[in-house]
Amino acid sequence: MLELDDLCKHFDGIRAVDGLSLKIERGEVFGLIGPNGSGKSTTVNLICGVFPATRGTVTLAGRNLGGLPPHRRLNAGISRTFQNIRLFGELTVWQNLWIARRDAPSEETGFMKNWFGSSARIREAIDETLEFAGLAGRANDLAQNLAFGEQRRLELARAVSARPQLILLDEPAAGMNREEVEDLKQRILTLKNSGITVLLVEHVMELVMGVTDRIAVLNFGKRIALGTPGEIQGNDAVREAYLGSPDVDIAEGSRHA
Amino acid sequence: MAIDFIDVVQAIIDGLLFGSTYALIGLGFTLIFGAMHKLNLAYAASAIAGAYVGLAVILMSGLPIVLTFVLGPVAGGFIGFGVYITCFRYMPATNMLAPLMASIGALFFIDEIIIHATAGSPLAFPAVMDDVFLEVGEYGFRGDLIFVLVTSLIAMLVLLYVLFGTRLGLATRAVSQQVVAAELCGIASHRTNATTFAITGVLGGLAGCMAAAAVGVISPLLTVPITVKGLIVTVIGGLGSIPGAIVAGFAVGGFENLFLLLFGVNQRDIYVFLLLFVFLVFRPNGLFGKAINRD
Repeated sequence: MLELDDLCKHFDGIRAVDGLSLKIERGEVFGLIGPNGSGKSTTVNLICGVFPATRGTVTLAGRNLGGLPPHRRLNAGISRTFQNIRLFGELTVWQNLWIARRDAPSEETGFMKNWFGSSARIREAIDETLEFAGLAGRANDLAQNLAFGEQRRLELARAVSARPQLILLDEPAAGMNREEVEDLKQRILTLKNSGITVLLVEHVMELVMGVTDRIAVLNFGKRIALGTPGEIQGNDAVREAYLGSPDVDIAEGSRHA
Repeated sequence: MAIDFIDVVQAIIDGLLFGSTYALIGLGFTLIFGAMHKLNLAYAASAIAGAYVGLAVILMSGLPIVLTFVLGPVAGGFIGFGVYITCFRYMPATNMLAPLMASIGALFFIDEIIIHATAGSPLAFPAVMDDVFLEVGEYGFRGDLIFVLVTSLIAMLVLLYVLFGTRLGLATRAVSQQVVAAELCGIASHRTNATTFAITGVLGGLAGCMAAAAVGVISPLLTVPITVKGLIVTVIGGLGSIPGAIVAGFAVGGFENLFLLLFGVNQRDIYVFLLLFVFLVFRPNGLFGKAINRD
């Protein structure tokens, strides 16, 4: 599904991502964890094309995405959420989803219809996405007037609205309480069941351990471990990198990060 | 000279009607600023150039005069797009000064083209409905100014519908609010910016035709004063504010004509600048201005 091969990103001599190779299978929930500054967010930005890679390739379903600008990568099937919320504050909740909506050319043909029209089928689909995110009652509120938790859910809904094959979640649980994390877990599983591949970058370990199929651990831009949640939790190198000591339990110890 | 109350009201009425062209010019500046956070100083020049092209086509082809007000805006749209490509598209996004200087260059470039094409002499510009005069009590409404007002209002309504009711408009507003997020939502920001320039160019072409029709002549001498008035309107309304540009456009039109009545043509602009000064000191963000934040 998504393949990273020898991916590198250097900023003025700092190797933010340094020769990262990964293979994410279709339909899996893949976790990417690591200490702050280990290159997780840079990896996400490289995948969705915010800046070009210094070296290496990103391949989605056999197609090399190198050189494609972000809006083309969305059309190729990648959407994402942002760690620091980036909604269109002066647009309504409903309009935020409408903007992100991408429909195959055969369904919505032509410039006029794409930019000036809106069909009943699309309106229904947007309402469904709102329902999924628990925002059905807030369709006509401005995004900037939503509470923090609702804005987080709208970030997710907007990414889903683009109908991606692969969705990148950049610390979606940051600032959430236990109950909200549980809701988010259910939503991620819903996405998985509908066939969407998920790449989850997260510090909240109860979410990562509870929802992912496999996890890769980054440190200093390199992959130091790869395996199932159980394998990662028992990995000494990972504990060492995360907490400076192999004797600490990851799932308990790093919620603060 | 004694000035009657009636004269004062009449002057304000005329000014408000003419102010609708300022509102259109101010909208153009403010929309581009909203979309890119950059000023396009060539905007008023492209507006006048659009009106010139419209007039030239009519004079050469013999088509009905009313079509000037269609061809002018169309030409303005193309010129606006050209200014985007030459002065903004390939400039580094973080460099504010380069596109500003480039657009000043475009302002004088367009100005020079007009001067050379017309040998620098003003041309008579056709007015519409100038034989109509509406009387309401003691006050009169000039037909050509009513035409200017009504056309401008229609243009504004269409603009507001596009901006707030269609995906095209929502996309341009999304780019102005969060450019990175918009691109990651599949919106090609260069394309929506080009569309914004073309749309504002159409508004400008219309405003150029309206201004020229209301005065009765079109001249290259109009470009710099209209640039300055447009900027004053934009600043008073609040940079980036759409309602601000509309309200400030009418207000500046009204005040300008009032100052003309009270102080004469030589001192009129001094007081317009004084108005700007008052706003810059007491309300620097303008009528509807707000703190700016984005990516």
